[in-house]
Amino acid sequence: MKRIKIKQDLCMACMNCTIACMAEHNEQGKGIFDLDLTDLKNESRNHISLDSQKKPAPIFCRHCDEPECVFTCMSGAMTKDSETGIVSYNEDKCSSCFMCVMSCPYGVLKTDELRNSVVIKCDVCDGREIPRCVENCPTGCLYVEEVGVCL
Amino acid sequence: MKYLVLGASAAGINCAKTIRSLDKEGEITVVSKDDKVYSRCMLHHVVSGSRTIENLNFVSEDFFEKLDIHWMKGKNAKKLHIEDKKVVLDDESILSYDKLLIATGASSFIPPIKNLREGNQVVGFRDAEDVEMILQEYSHVKDIVVLGGGLVGIDVVSGLMAKKVNISLVEFADRILPLQLDKRSATTYEDLFKDNGVHIHTGVKAEEVLLDESNNVKGLKISSGEVIPCEMIIVATGVRPNLSFISENTVNIDKGIVVDEYCATNIADVFAAGDVCGTHPIWPLAVKQGITAGHNMVGKEKKLEDHFGFRNSLNFMDLQTVSIGIIEPVDDTYEEHIEEDGIEYKKIIVKDGIIQGAILQGDISYCGVITTLIKNKVDISKVNKNVFDINYADFFSVAEDGSYEYVV
Repeated sequence: MKRIKIKQDLCMACMNCTIACMAEHNEQGKGIFDLDLTDLKNESRNHISLDSQKKPAPIFCRHCDEPECVFTCMSGAMTKDSETGIVSYNEDKCSSCFMCVMSCPYGVLKTDELRNSVVIKCDVCDGREIPRCVENCPTGCLYVEEVGVCL
Repeated sequence: MKYLVLGASAAGINCAKTIRSLDKEGEITVVSKDDKVYSRCMLHHVVSGSRTIENLNFVSEDFFEKLDIHWMKGKNAKKLHIEDKKVVLDDESILSYDKLLIATGASSFIPPIKNLREGNQVVGFRDAEDVEMILQEYSHVKDIVVLGGGLVGIDVVSGLMAKKVNISLVEFADRILPLQLDKRSATTYEDLFKDNGVHIHTGVKAEEVLLDESNNVKGLKISSGEVIPCEMIIVATGVRPNLSFISENTVNIDKGIVVDEYCATNIADVFAAGDVCGTHPIWPLAVKQGITAGHNMVGKEKKLEDHFGFRNSLNFMDLQTVSIGIIEPVDDTYEEHIEEDGIEYKKIIVKDGIIQGAILQGDISYCGVITTLIKNKVDISKVNKNVFDINYADFFSVAEDGSYEYVV
């Protein structure tokens, strides 16, 4: 499968990836001028966290080989595609139990701010050739690479 | 190779799926008492009317066809013969196996309270049939008592709230959800339910069901002396594993079927997974046990590496809570950290640099890190931070294949 890879030392917490993710998933349009940063409907699927030395760490869905979010999902909303390796989230199937949020070992998942009813989850830009976050990373911290087998 | 899987819920389905992914040729048969695949944890959404039973299917419509699995639905195992490796079903058909998974789940336990088992309108909350019975009856019903304020009981209450009925909840402990929540977080939910018209009776026992001469339910007498008028009682006081088809002195049974870390029983080629094991009846463990058993049934050795069952997420009336590990400090060697902001509440319990438990109510964003720290007993003493601000950045490391790892 293809995975968004991360070189942590190159991250300078510029948040271009976060803005890119919001722009890509914005229902109002994908351009940067369509983006309203105060619109709670439009949340980023990735985020940057800081450790106690304030060193930034890009927190991106790994589309894990053994995905806890899929194992804990009781509605069938979270599934891993055995061919692409992508872990997809279907909000229509989701029962909002949030076992996935509780179980993602890396704290990638959260509930949506506005309705508290769906999960904010990376979809690798739904088939886009290069994910928008990767395309907008100015340092080379993010890149896509084939990582071989998946389940 | 002939694989036989008894049960088509979390454990059985995931076992069958795993077997097929590892053995393309093997003959797989799944037997289930259910004639549909559905998520039991979501049945309350059918009570509320927000979903149908069909909407609770957690696999694709063509699951059995696509994976070439023979599904015998609406059938129960009647007898397991370990010597000749056969299972007799209730329609007298006989199935032989090379490898067997027992994932028959559990059934509602109706406790021995006076007249409870005799009442016509007394129902558990476990199967699609229970929900059908509730939906058939409830139009003639004004008042419903839910017996048991654990997760299932509170699910039932939240499902019933969409209906025009009076709901009373009876719980023996001093608060609802006593296994998951402390007093503060339980009270928040109790207040929300009360504001929505639910009558909550905690710290009381059910003593006697009042019946009319035809055994129709008329009320429930509780230990305070009060009689709660009701025409239906939904019982959510726990479950017992479905083991009736297993003869004594064959498969080892304690609280349920005893399995080792490979999900194998004491009998060769017989495996078990899910609620029938009677340990931690939570969905993720049933799934993982099913997957583990599946590997070992095919002959690919796999150990169950996750036994951590003390975790649950709750979402009632749009207020989310997660409960992980212990919910109260055991003694004064445990530090209790609390953060409160209006309805939001966070409590983290630490001992010797290890987080032992957490309750997070209101904001659960990115909380899977806390679950992992508790589950894996990760030492946080080197992290120079407020415990509530700890996140994955404090343990961040990327492996060769791009997956994340924890580095302490």
